[in-house]
Amino acid sequence: MSLIINGNFDEAESRWNFRLAGEIDISNALQLKKQLETAYAARAADIYINVGDLSYIDSTGLGIIIGIYGTIHKSGYRIVLLEPKENVKKLLKITNLDKVLS
Amino acid sequence: MTDTLKLSVPVKPEYVGTVRLAISSLANKAGFDIEAIEDIKVAVSEACSNIVCHSTIDEDRLYNVICEIFSDRLSISVEDEGVGFDVNNIPEPDLSEHTGSGLGVFIIRALMDEVDVSSKVGSGTSIRMVKYLPETV
Repeated sequence: MSLIINGNFDEAESRWNFRLAGEIDISNALQLKKQLETAYAARAADIYINVGDLSYIDSTGLGIIIGIYGTIHKSGYRIVLLEPKENVKKLLKITNLDKVLS
Repeated sequence: MTDTLKLSVPVKPEYVGTVRLAISSLANKAGFDIEAIEDIKVAVSEACSNIVCHSTIDEDRLYNVICEIFSDRLSISVEDEGVGFDVNNIPEPDLSEHTGSGLGVFIIRALMDEVDVSSKVGSGTSIRMVKYLPETV
């Protein structure tokens, strides 16, 4: 299964809204990195990512999200993950990222 | 009686998903519930990604995923012939540094019942992990 990434800038809320569907692993994590970095470079803002249709993420994907969080956090912005499935929620909890990305 | 399955996989990112599918099917057949299947899938996938990421063996080489199905547990070894590393020197993941480095082995240890990482500089790495079936009463 592949990864589908959709993103647009929400003028009303002044933030990026992304929606991910499919699976993120070592084969496509760089795709996510590029899209998030491009968006943030075009317009610095909070990044909200709806992961409700994401069925799988591994440490490569989490690593990329943490990396970008680290960069934008320095400028006072944040990344928020919305609607994680149970399996994704479990990984976020194990790695303590649930507290950072919410 | 133990059944053994051995997968030989090219050291390429695009095949990690294939291993993941095969392992979920195997764990399902062995009788694990959905949450345990997910744990096994994630752990094995992390071990494969580790090899694909860190191994410097060239891309036409293979690594092995060896699955042993026991009556009470599933044991999976992921082995390569890469450069190896010093097992006593795996950094704890430091989330405050926001790099994600070291997360893979950390996740495997959290999800599986037994994990044994062995590696020698110069002769490859092996991650052996075991998940027990819930006791049937």
